[in-house]
Amino acid sequence: MSDTLHNDVRPDNATAPDGTTFSRRSFLQGIGVAAGLVAAGVIPAVLSAAPTSAEEATATTTAAVPGGGEDPIATIIEENRELNYPGKPVYYADLAGPEKWAMVIDTKACVGCRKCAFACVKENNIGRTSGFTYIQLLEMEPGKLDLDTAVLDYEEAGRPDKWYLPVQCMQCANPPCVTGCPVKATWKEPDGIVVVDYNKCIGCRNCMITCPYGARHFNWVHPEVPEAEVNPKVPLAEKAWTPEKCTFCVQRTRNGQTTACVEACPVGARTFGDLNDPNSDVSILLKTRRVFRLKEELSTEPMIWYVG
Amino acid sequence: MTMTEATTSQPGIKRFIGMDWNIGALKSADRRYWSFVALLGILITLGVMAWILVMTKGGTVMAQRDGFTWGIWFANYMFYVGLAAGGLVVYASVHLFGAEQFRPLARLAVLMAGCLTMIAVLGDLTDLVRVWRIYWFALTPNLSAIFVYTGSAAGIYMVICFVDLWILITGKGGEKLAYRMTLIALPLAIYLHTTTAFVLALNKSRELWSTAVMVPIFLTSAVASGVALLLIVAYIMQRFHVLEFKPSMFRSLSTLLATVMIFDLFLLVAEIAFVYWPSSAKIGHTLRFSEFLTGPYAGIFLPVLILGGTAFALLSRRKTRHIPAVQVTASALYVVAIFFKRYTLMSMGFAIGTLGQPQAPYFPSLVEGLLALGLLALAVLFVTLAAKVLPLRVPEHEHGEEVGAPHAVASGDPALESGAAL
Repeated sequence: MSDTLHNDVRPDNATAPDGTTFSRRSFLQGIGVAAGLVAAGVIPAVLSAAPTSAEEATATTTAAVPGGGEDPIATIIEENRELNYPGKPVYYADLAGPEKWAMVIDTKACVGCRKCAFACVKENNIGRTSGFTYIQLLEMEPGKLDLDTAVLDYEEAGRPDKWYLPVQCMQCANPPCVTGCPVKATWKEPDGIVVVDYNKCIGCRNCMITCPYGARHFNWVHPEVPEAEVNPKVPLAEKAWTPEKCTFCVQRTRNGQTTACVEACPVGARTFGDLNDPNSDVSILLKTRRVFRLKEELSTEPMIWYVG
Repeated sequence: MTMTEATTSQPGIKRFIGMDWNIGALKSADRRYWSFVALLGILITLGVMAWILVMTKGGTVMAQRDGFTWGIWFANYMFYVGLAAGGLVVYASVHLFGAEQFRPLARLAVLMAGCLTMIAVLGDLTDLVRVWRIYWFALTPNLSAIFVYTGSAAGIYMVICFVDLWILITGKGGEKLAYRMTLIALPLAIYLHTTTAFVLALNKSRELWSTAVMVPIFLTSAVASGVALLLIVAYIMQRFHVLEFKPSMFRSLSTLLATVMIFDLFLLVAEIAFVYWPSSAKIGHTLRFSEFLTGPYAGIFLPVLILGGTAFALLSRRKTRHIPAVQVTASALYVVAIFFKRYTLMSMGFAIGTLGQPQAPYFPSLVEGLLALGLLALAVLFVTLAAKVLPLRVPEHEHGEEVGAPHAVASGDPALESGAAL
């Protein structure tokens, strides 16, 4: 990963159609080493909107930004708390560990091949006739971060005149779907993963209304998976007539594996890891790279970052 | 809880839960009445069959989809909850503000409000494909979910309406209790309408819904359409000699209607201006709204402006406002306009998806349509039966009654006689 990092900062690698777009956004959580001095002054000021949580986070976290100052990731971890958690883990996964899971997606590397989406369908028992995938890839116009001009059903991947934005459940620290569920059938687990209890859901679909990322998908039909391809670790029949979504492959990641999409990506555009570990790839990326999050202005605090 | 023969001189009247039920009037009803009831029965049966299909086949029989998460049931929920406001306005004006001219409408208004709220709630429940888990709503309600508030408010409001009707008919507690019930019902109704508007407005994910004007515009649309429907039903009741009203009552109602209409239209125009004004226009908003002004959804939004504008134009002229045909036409136009508005409002959340992808317009499937029709037929059936059986007519001696006087429903209630004559 570190090789990629060094390559990325070289000026001759500035062909990616991203620079102007991303610079417009406030990527204050991601601090480059070069921007470290500036950030050390700016970030505490920005984050002072929630001074108590920031102070608590600093008190409990030893990680510090090189050159002094508070670690911005600490506040993100603090924000990413459990919500409506019933006190026991969701029935189709092990207990949550001490991790705070997060993902970073390199939009410069992504070629829009949809291999991640296919791998995800197989891993997560998504009905082959259900008509959706957890991961949706948007073909974006260069020079813009404009979803309204993005194409979802493009046929040719890897076009040099486009760039690609994979979108899935952002496992938001402040998830509107969890606040919108009237019966607490979906919640945020202690490791930050938003899960759905298919046996409790009443099928009102309000979570799909409240999600700004189109990440939840309803099983209008009974999910059909060929018998030989069924993943026994993932629910299947009980998903009928309930919404489902990406769970960061909770059945894998809580057992030391990485997610199916990370494994399947042929260009290594996806990085998955633990924000509580200051030496994890995601932690390093967030500290050293200019990153952005989708619809950051909605204050959902997504746990998926994009790096260009 | 059994019906007992009332100790009255009139045959066929049964006393049950303190009210006189004129069952005899049903026996003497004519063929036209029973044909209408039979038609409603068929529609309700079809609706029940449609619901059974939904329960057994799930979402496959519905036209709703991922991109169009909610459909006709939600448009109807907003529509019916709004129409129920008409009952409240009349009820509150009589018992809170002393608008005596509306007193003859009170029982009918409260009955309609109860029935409309009932089908709004039933429409919601029949859409839940996992409805048998609804008990979680009571066991683990999520207090940050607006659905918990609007759902419970609708249920409580429905009960309050039927209790109110009972109080009005039996006269229990007199004017004092009726007044106190208004003090409960009025804030509850405003709460119901506000929370229903919040189901839309509290979603930062849906640009055209997430606006603060949603609550006031929801209230004005609700009151306007509710009063308009009440006016139409009052005319129908008068036509069939169930109730009688003075022309001045209809004129007062029309003036009230015209006033609320112009507020409603004003808020809508203000909202459109906000979306398109160059200094406030956001690309996402204008793009989405244009789908409704010039795009594939124009067919459901432009009628809102055209029908609503025409209705107001009809009622705005003082010289013609008293003519029954003008009042009924304007009211009918406005009720239809508000239905289109609710349908548009529902579509506004979905026309362009959260990831910027345009969605093909939604049109309800046969099953969804039959389900909606069946529910509507259920409400109409309730009112049709009540028109015969229940003493909806307010006795003359109650008009302009002093506070605290007992409401004894005389066995020789003129409503019963007129019901029998229907």
